[in-house]
Amino acid sequence: MEIDIYNKYKKLGRGNWGKDLIMWKAMYTGLLTRFKEEEFTPFVEFFLNLFLDLPKARREGKPIIMHPFNYGPELFHAMGIEPLMQEIFSVGLAPFHLNEPYIDYTNKIGYGDNPTLCNAQRPLIGTYLQGAAPIPDLLFFLSTPCNSLAMTYQVFHNLTDVPMFNMDVPYWLYDEQYETSEFYDEKTMDYMVKQVKDLKNWLEKMTNQNLDIEKFQETMKLVNEAREYVVEFNELLKTVPCPVESLVGFGNFLVMVTKGGTTDAVNATKYLRDLAAENVKEGIAGVPDEKLRIMWPYTHVFFDQDLFPFLQEEFQANVIMDILGYYQVLPHDVSTIEKCYESLAKGTLDFSMIGTCRGPIEYYIEYILNFVKEYKIDAVCMPMQFACKHAYTMARVASEAIREQLGIPVLIFGCDPYDSREVPLEAIRQRISDFITQVVL
Amino acid sequence: MAIMEGFNKALPLSNPYINDWKNEGKKVLGYFCSYIPEELMYAADILPIRVRARTCADTPMADAYMTPTTCSYTRCCLELANRKQYNFLDGIISCNCCDQVRRLYDNIRYKAPFPYHYIMGVPGYVSDTTIDWFKHELKKLKLNLENNFEAKISDEKLYDSIGVYNKSRTLLKELYLLRKHDNPPITGTETMNILSAGVSIPRQQFNKLLTQQLSEFKGKAGISDYKSRIMLVGSMLDEPEYIQVIEDLGGLVVTDSLCLGTRYFWDLVEVGKNPIDSLAERYLSKISCPRMTDGHPQRVQFLIDLIKEFRVDGVIFQRMKFCALWWAEIFMLRDNLKEEGVPFLDLEREYILSGAGAMKTRVQTFMEIMESR
Repeated sequence: MEIDIYNKYKKLGRGNWGKDLIMWKAMYTGLLTRFKEEEFTPFVEFFLNLFLDLPKARREGKPIIMHPFNYGPELFHAMGIEPLMQEIFSVGLAPFHLNEPYIDYTNKIGYGDNPTLCNAQRPLIGTYLQGAAPIPDLLFFLSTPCNSLAMTYQVFHNLTDVPMFNMDVPYWLYDEQYETSEFYDEKTMDYMVKQVKDLKNWLEKMTNQNLDIEKFQETMKLVNEAREYVVEFNELLKTVPCPVESLVGFGNFLVMVTKGGTTDAVNATKYLRDLAAENVKEGIAGVPDEKLRIMWPYTHVFFDQDLFPFLQEEFQANVIMDILGYYQVLPHDVSTIEKCYESLAKGTLDFSMIGTCRGPIEYYIEYILNFVKEYKIDAVCMPMQFACKHAYTMARVASEAIREQLGIPVLIFGCDPYDSREVPLEAIRQRISDFITQVVL
Repeated sequence: MAIMEGFNKALPLSNPYINDWKNEGKKVLGYFCSYIPEELMYAADILPIRVRARTCADTPMADAYMTPTTCSYTRCCLELANRKQYNFLDGIISCNCCDQVRRLYDNIRYKAPFPYHYIMGVPGYVSDTTIDWFKHELKKLKLNLENNFEAKISDEKLYDSIGVYNKSRTLLKELYLLRKHDNPPITGTETMNILSAGVSIPRQQFNKLLTQQLSEFKGKAGISDYKSRIMLVGSMLDEPEYIQVIEDLGGLVVTDSLCLGTRYFWDLVEVGKNPIDSLAERYLSKISCPRMTDGHPQRVQFLIDLIKEFRVDGVIFQRMKFCALWWAEIFMLRDNLKEEGVPFLDLEREYILSGAGAMKTRVQTFMEIMESR
């Protein structure tokens, strides 16, 4: 990064961000230090701006809405409401073990334990009670993918009285009587569009402003543009060798879940698409001498940021995609306002981890089988979070289907991606190494 | 006592009432949650049985598939299904009431299948939009039952079925009203036997038994040798032995907020309008469990009303291990009870009573705390 750009961002980060944004500021400072030695790309720009947006919103008196990791923020951006994806804290602090004291405090006050309530959200309660969590103006969550998320948001609402809106994601019925599943039947779309409009009305009421139709359409066009880049990027990952290294795909998810509907998102997703396309054109591999292509149909082990580099170095293994990074929301027709609402509804149903987990297990299995075939996967790793009931309980049946239908080896193991003390880094690396050396290779 | 024997006969997984029903060539379906309307099955001349798993002693197969960190109720159900202990069932109906129950459905289909499976979606909050969706879900279930069991569920049959189930609800409420007395004629343990029987035998037979039981209670001397009046709160509990531990120590369980208890029967289905509409409105708007994300304030009020009406001295939360819904709910309820000055005990448990010794010690201490107030 050029020194004047670094200094610009350093200056932007100065000042008092408020007591409840101390951790947010610490994460920003850490990122800036890390990026100092790297090229200043649109992705870096997106990341730094993401952290600057929150204190800026505070200064400008913009309302802040807290939402979980499985909802695109485009409607919020269209309405001038600053989105705050809550899990940035649990994901961002995990590598530095900084959320562990808050996990301990949450245990101490009696709000759940590691195997019962997911630590992606649970520490929010302890963090809030210790005055270290930002208090948003509004709260939004969905019924899917899990009870744990929905309950922690309710507890947070109960403690803070921050107004809350919940969207119900309908259970997606798998019916063997149909040859193909109807992902968006008319009734489902009608149900989701109604709820999106209910959300819009609620936001208008809460913020005392009306949705600016022109801005809404502009935002949806920007979302579409970014979605096109992501879809193209995902296609490029099918190339052997994979043109980018393991963590890059996750970047698209981070962009879309925090800044979908902004120019930052368009620039960042275009940059990643261009990077992959250029590497394909030049025959450059993300992992030199790629030997193994791994699918990771669950979340990363967030506390071990060096796990994928370790796998790359030790085994020339590229983790092609994880469940969140596989953002497969397609561009939609947004030519009318009604179509924009429909696009939001479809985007909700297809969002990472919602699309694969909002119905019976067949959809999770189909997602894995298709991905393994299309992306020429050699092995599947499922590092299941102990508290993730909806996913962990699918792993065994899914793994049997993968082995039986495709003959691909699968590793399942339990851990807590947010707390290194449950299953330590060394044990996880050893388990994956043993799997690769003894089963895969 | 003879009538109580009639209820007790229904407690095993399969029972003589189910055998008689099947001997008539009729079908039996198991269901997993009180958000699934039994009326629809009953109207198709199918016996709905709440799936229970009290005979389950260990869960090695279910631990492998459901993992050891899911609730032991769901693991026990999968284990017994795998051991063919539910062979008397012609199929199962489930719903997305919680993550564990919805994945139990998947694991059963793959590892211990029945001839018939169905899962329905239940929205997570109440509004005109979600009630409308739930009506749609009930219509799909009705159609599916009709197609798979060659049954015609007419409105008339549905009205009759609603009438039978409303009668049960009214009778159960009468039973609970008796428990408000200083000297209730029935223990919590006996009540649990009745509740478990209710979801395990044909409903008209249950209504008959319960009517007889209620008239037997008239003039019966009540229970007076207890130390405290207890309310039980939590999820799936169908184990009288659990309540027996509390009552052996001098606590009389007088009311509850349980899946098989008040939350199951407190609210009636409205009659006189389209039956599917009535069912959708009742099942979605009934006193909720924590799966309903907008229902906490109502649940608190319901709890506090019951505490007052039944003159409850203390609340025992029976919290199933690894249940996210109830842990979070109890975390919130604790503050509500503190504000009301109601003592409470948070007891983690497995579905099948284990560690009775530790439980006794904690309940004993809790009793002493209440006595010293």
